[in-house]
Amino acid sequence: MRVAQNSPQTPALCNCAASDKPEKGEPAFPEALAAAAPSRHRPGPRLQSNFTPSSLLRTGQLSNVDLNEDVRELETELPRPYPNEIPHNEKLLSLKYESLDYDNSENQLFLEEERRINHAAFRTVEIKRWVICAMIGILTGLVACFIDIVVENLAGLKYRVVKDNIDKFTEKGGLSFSLLLWATLNASVVMVGSVIVAFIEPVAAGSGIPQIKCYLNGVKIPHVVRLKTLVIKVCGVILSVVGGLAVGKEGPMIHSGAVIAAGISQGRSTSLKRDFKIFEYFRRDTEKRDFVSAGAAAGVSAAFGAPVGGVLFSLEEGASFWNQFLTWRIFFASMISTFTLNSVLSVYHGNAWDLSSPGLINFGRFDNEKMGYTIQEIPIFIFMGVVGGILGALFNALNYWLTMFRIRYIHRPCLQVIEAMLVAAVTAAVGFVMIYCSRDCQPIQGSTVAYPLQLFCADGEYNSMATAFFNTPEKSVVNLFHDPPGSYNPMTLGMFTLMYFFLACWTYGLTVSAGVFIPSLLIGAAWGRLFGISLSYLTKGSIWADPGKYALMGAAAQLGGIVRMTLSLTVIMMEATGNVTYGFPIMLVLMTAKIVGDYFVEGLYDMHIQLQSVPFLHWEAPVTSHSLTAREVMSTPVTCLRRIERVGTVVDILSDTSSNHNGFPVVESNPDTTQVAGLRGLILRSQLIVLLKHKVFVERANLSLVQRRLKLKDFRDAYPRFPPIQSIHVSQDERECMIDLSEFMNPSPYTVPQEASLPRVFKLFRALGLRHLVVVDNRNEVVGMVTRKDLARYRLGKEGLEELSLAQT
Amino acid sequence: MAPPPGFHLLLLLLLLVLLLPPGPAAGLQALGEAAEMAAGLRAGLPELELELELPGLELPELPELEPPELEPECRRLLAAFAEGSAALSGCLARRARPVRLCQACRGQYRSLLGRYRDIARALGNSSESHNCAKSILTSDRLQIVVTLSEFFNETWETANCANCLKNNSEGLSNSTVEFLDLFNKSLTCFEHNLQGQAVDVSPNNYTEVCKNCNGTYKMLNDLYNNLQKLNRHGSESGHSAHLCIDVEDAMNITRKLWSRTFNCSVPCSDTVPVIAVSSFILFLPVVFYLSSFLHSKQKKRILILPKRIQSNASLVNIQEKYS
Repeated sequence: MRVAQNSPQTPALCNCAASDKPEKGEPAFPEALAAAAPSRHRPGPRLQSNFTPSSLLRTGQLSNVDLNEDVRELETELPRPYPNEIPHNEKLLSLKYESLDYDNSENQLFLEEERRINHAAFRTVEIKRWVICAMIGILTGLVACFIDIVVENLAGLKYRVVKDNIDKFTEKGGLSFSLLLWATLNASVVMVGSVIVAFIEPVAAGSGIPQIKCYLNGVKIPHVVRLKTLVIKVCGVILSVVGGLAVGKEGPMIHSGAVIAAGISQGRSTSLKRDFKIFEYFRRDTEKRDFVSAGAAAGVSAAFGAPVGGVLFSLEEGASFWNQFLTWRIFFASMISTFTLNSVLSVYHGNAWDLSSPGLINFGRFDNEKMGYTIQEIPIFIFMGVVGGILGALFNALNYWLTMFRIRYIHRPCLQVIEAMLVAAVTAAVGFVMIYCSRDCQPIQGSTVAYPLQLFCADGEYNSMATAFFNTPEKSVVNLFHDPPGSYNPMTLGMFTLMYFFLACWTYGLTVSAGVFIPSLLIGAAWGRLFGISLSYLTKGSIWADPGKYALMGAAAQLGGIVRMTLSLTVIMMEATGNVTYGFPIMLVLMTAKIVGDYFVEGLYDMHIQLQSVPFLHWEAPVTSHSLTAREVMSTPVTCLRRIERVGTVVDILSDTSSNHNGFPVVESNPDTTQVAGLRGLILRSQLIVLLKHKVFVERANLSLVQRRLKLKDFRDAYPRFPPIQSIHVSQDERECMIDLSEFMNPSPYTVPQEASLPRVFKLFRALGLRHLVVVDNRNEVVGMVTRKDLARYRLGKEGLEELSLAQT
Repeated sequence: MAPPPGFHLLLLLLLLVLLLPPGPAAGLQALGEAAEMAAGLRAGLPELELELELPGLELPELPELEPPELEPECRRLLAAFAEGSAALSGCLARRARPVRLCQACRGQYRSLLGRYRDIARALGNSSESHNCAKSILTSDRLQIVVTLSEFFNETWETANCANCLKNNSEGLSNSTVEFLDLFNKSLTCFEHNLQGQAVDVSPNNYTEVCKNCNGTYKMLNDLYNNLQKLNRHGSESGHSAHLCIDVEDAMNITRKLWSRTFNCSVPCSDTVPVIAVSSFILFLPVVFYLSSFLHSKQKKRILILPKRIQSNASLVNIQEKYS
């Protein structure tokens, strides 16, 4: 019955009018939305009443009204499936996020420019790309050095102070003061780190990998690649590592690399208001995104000393837009980054030009012959993979509930700061109590402990629990890999794993910038070593059961179980250990961990992307979605513009707060009502704003012949922060002018017929990086528009296909 | 730098010996042992190096037909090297426990180094001695002279003897001498006090030692820590900055005696305040989460209905979902 109601309307659906009557055209938007932004400038009712819509548009309106009323009716029939306000949950898509314009607008200006630039100039562009990649590598390497050196010194200072204090009070009594000192130091350092993140740039929180993943996927996360974010990120990560949280500094390096790339490739900084007038050719999303992938790769490469792993990371996360030359350039940036880090750190450590410290975390060499593995061990490794998968899933599930709670209840910045401080204090307290209770003493002779805490051990011995807790996490990982057998007793390792698991899980998602790589590795290394020890105990000390090797496998399994990366993680682990022979077992371990983990919950990064309500497009459309067609997926009616449009209309459409559309199909402005208004092109909001700003009106062109023609450069100069429509003043007279869009619109937008299936549409989107896809009928009339949010809302849930709802966040 | 595996084992063994619970019956014996140990340590220390001239290491004067490969000069050099290496290895083995390698064997090491250099130096010089170096060092697969010299060098490196010798390895460095003096003094103190106490019945009662020698021990400990700190500063790379093995071992033994055998360092454990403070800190998050759960306003999201054709299929979907 409803089909019967709907179907006759579809052909009559003329689409191009909704915006002329905002108060009726879009009843689907609840009033709450308009109320949410009341301060926004509106042209006011008087201006709206000025409109005299053409007769063509009037017919369109009529059919629109019909349709909308039909929708309304349906809505009231249903048992109110959409309440107005709901608590945050995972099945939402936020309106905050927009797509990147990966698709090139091949308008006339573009063609002109291409004609003007000769062949040699294009070669210069190519050389500039390489120069930019080299600079990305160098700067990323330098930032990594800076972080590394500052963390080393500050953490060293902190641990020395606390150690001296503990040593003092061990003799005299009053260790509770040491505990208080440690906890206060941690909490105050973390407080600074958390305040700058929470109050200045919240997008710098967390590891930044989900955000970069989204960016490479084509989602524009506000502020994610700004200079301010970089500064906050770098300071924040230093402070949170020094503050003793269970975090690492590797994940944020990836974000930092990406920001550096985005900044350099544009040749200017809008935060600093400096324009160096270079690299202007690259000021658009397409180019920027390529450089950002290079930056992310350089970040991975600096973090782990894994240039190939970095390239593969970019490939794994942003692979839908990939070509050979880009890969080669990205690899170049990665290598330069590792090399820079190497050289600077070698100078810092006093052995200049010895390039053997490649990466923030260096797992050390595993080239002992004891470290070899045999075929019998493969099942053991696979079993470890299973354990890693289960533990990883548990980690993610716990973190999921915690994050949900945080989003719902701890959303005020001051609460977030307090929470971070509490976590820091508790981390210190837990560490202290563990050390205090531990009776595992090891001789200090011949060990490489950086801050040996004696506490209740005999003179000349140190507390072995303290090597794990009383150290930066990176050092602890390396210790667990390489300390000779017998450095830890099983009880210590067991307790450590247990406590650190919960601490790390609690810490991830705080409002501090920090990564999850190192804590995962540390948890894994601890239980892996425990596993190795018990194995060698069971086999009566066989030669092959070296705990260091199992610590490595455990670390790989745990990390794989949490983040579920496959190819790039294998290569990163291989490169970080500098051991190719471990490639096979590491691959097996990661594979098993991923399979087992995916059976329970998804990976940590994907989970956080979903909790942030980002419209993320996965590799494929949901498998059972072939029955859905573009007609059901698309948004309709579409706000269209005519090829020669009145300025007033354009301004009104753009300033309509209830519809923040970004792309507008351009249709033929034929006054003849008998002819259909076929699709002629697509124009973006940003382009319209630039046009309005420069007042490119038909009448003005006739008046002053000397008026400068608009060039592509004018559009690039405004990128990436186009002014809002409210800041552009259009006078009453100018509203009556006409604007000719044919020169500026993209004349060949991608279109699909209404019958195209969802997977087909999805494939187009994913492969071409589209932002708008126009749905047309067989007369080339615009019927609807498919955007990222229309596609991302379909998801394969527990019981079949689910639909996410849109929400204002 | 991982220590050689044997080292750990040795230490563990030693620890085990020291850890054997001195029961009431064995008390006197343990006491005696400790005194003996202290005395032995002291006795082992200031002795002069024994230059051992081992006879019979001269090349056997065999009249049998030997290919005239080695020049007499070379033969002499080789003999000297053999002598030197025998002396050094003897010294090393004899001074293995308690470790006195660097003090006792430095002369032998130096002379061996010189002899090896004599052989090797010839490599670049005249054609005749060139022959000599070549035939001794590189003309067979085994290259025993090279292996030996490498072994000694490596041992010397691992022991880090250079650290407690003067720059030209003429004698012990000033700090080392100072340390050893203090070490001697504290051992004397231990010995002295133990002898005075030997008649005492209670075996674990070393209070006398602890009280009387506390000052010396503290000084020794501090000096050692200072040396370590200086050393760490000296070598930039931070880790693997060991002192020389003699000093390390001496300190190690003293510390073990002090805290394991004499049980002198009894740290005050204040468990109650620690538990109180830590449980207070652990309690804070609970309060925080509870209060933010109860008092903070839950964040609501405003739903927005998309502009869409409500088709059959999606309606079915929705109805399925909500039924």
